[in-house]
Amino acid sequence: MRVGSISVGRSGDKGGTLDLTLVALDEQGYHWLESRLTEVEAQAAISRVMPGVLRRYPVPGLRALKFVIEDALPGGVYATLHAGLHWQKAAIWVLLDLELD
Amino acid sequence: MEHRVVACGAGFAGDRTEPAVALAASGLVDAVGLECLAERTLVPGLRARRTDGDAGADPRLERRLRPLLPVARANDCRIISNLGAANPLSAGRQIARLASEIGCSGLRVAAVVGDDVIALAKHIEWQEPIVGEMLGAHAYLGADALRDAVDDGAHVIVTGRVADSALFSAEVLPILDDNLDALAGATTIGHLLECSGQLTGGNFEMPNGDSLTAQDFAELGFPLAHVRSDGSADLALLDGAPGRIDILTCTLQLLYEVHDPSAYITPDAILDLTGIRFEEIGPNRVRVSGARARGRPTRLKVSGFVEQPGFVADIEIGYAGTHALQRGRVAADALRMRLDNLPQKDLRIDLVGVDSTLGSASLPSPNRTPEVRVHVSARCSDAQMAQIVEDEVYSLTLSGPAGGGSVRSERRPSLAVVDGFIDRDLVKTETVWERAS
Repeated sequence: MRVGSISVGRSGDKGGTLDLTLVALDEQGYHWLESRLTEVEAQAAISRVMPGVLRRYPVPGLRALKFVIEDALPGGVYATLHAGLHWQKAAIWVLLDLELD
Repeated sequence: MEHRVVACGAGFAGDRTEPAVALAASGLVDAVGLECLAERTLVPGLRARRTDGDAGADPRLERRLRPLLPVARANDCRIISNLGAANPLSAGRQIARLASEIGCSGLRVAAVVGDDVIALAKHIEWQEPIVGEMLGAHAYLGADALRDAVDDGAHVIVTGRVADSALFSAEVLPILDDNLDALAGATTIGHLLECSGQLTGGNFEMPNGDSLTAQDFAELGFPLAHVRSDGSADLALLDGAPGRIDILTCTLQLLYEVHDPSAYITPDAILDLTGIRFEEIGPNRVRVSGARARGRPTRLKVSGFVEQPGFVADIEIGYAGTHALQRGRVAADALRMRLDNLPQKDLRIDLVGVDSTLGSASLPSPNRTPEVRVHVSARCSDAQMAQIVEDEVYSLTLSGPAGGGSVRSERRPSLAVVDGFIDRDLVKTETVWERAS
């Protein structure tokens, strides 16, 4: 199942840290996400695209998972070698487009 | 229970100006906050201030306030903003002059200063070594810095670096219950409001691809909040304003850029957001409660702006027509060969429209790619080196795959933003008053 078929998401950042949020549409979806999109799975997906160590914060009361990746954006947003500025706004699709069993 | 109505009129310096005017004109709003300060706005201000002591406020100040001031004045709606950027004192004078010019006589402007802590540099504990020239150092002030201006009835409060949430929570301070959880609630509401359209359906898409329409985005309403003395609030849009406020948009914005949701550090309080409850109480109307405080930080965060020598050169060349993708790939490979003297870490070459944003995680296109742009960014030690990289891309128009064109390039200065901390007792703020004649 595609993560983005049962959740919505958003990317943010602070300095060199990337900050991702997923919110499941319902309780069942949250439990599926919480059990399948583990810290290890998320780290593996993120590591295909950027450096940094990922930490996951489950927020069951809000049906949300947060993923915080330190040093994912070395030197911060302005030091990026991506085209233009603020590519990280699209980084949530690394997780939304993940297919998990 | 006593309440105040606060609204968001801007979530960044270049935000649309109409929503703030509509919110002020509604007559419902006690204060409209304009969040207008980011590194990209502060740094040019710091540079401008070096040569002209009166410069350094946001250059959009007049465009934003000319339509808003008279409407806000007529509706008894306070304006609270960080449009002062690198020079809040000058911003205060500019606003008073503008108000005089457009007939808002007697308008009282409070400029709140004290965020500029460069003079306290020796007390700042930097989190990494400073390499390059320090342009400025600014502490994130809390809502308490704006309290005097609120209590003394400022029509406009203008400042520099404060926590974004403080631009909204400051208005509520006089009615808040005397406990830290109420302050945590008001700060949370400020955090929900501070990104304008991100609470009302902007930057939001449902799993099935549903989002607002182009017409809605073009006229997207910004949010307002009825904040009660216990720090709970009802979030809403003005009647008839396009947008969407529901539990999903609120949850995404609540958790936006907070890192650890059980300990989001703001100057006013360390917020535990894990017990927040959202309740949809009507169309585009959501009740929020349950914020808790886990103490108040003893140190304030400081952003240091460090200018380093060199540039990032960012260049593109486009290909179109049959075999466009193939020609783009060949062009990218040729550039890799030409630029192989640059360290790998200082060079990025990719294809816009194919893999420039998410790299190998970008989804393959099921269709033939009608156009492609080869993108090169390189960290360059000086202008001459940037020119060489730019010229290599231009060279492809003559000595590369067929039909390369639509070249564009830009150079970005190399700017590092370094975090630091300072003991909050060392940071003294002051409120300086101006009055429109």
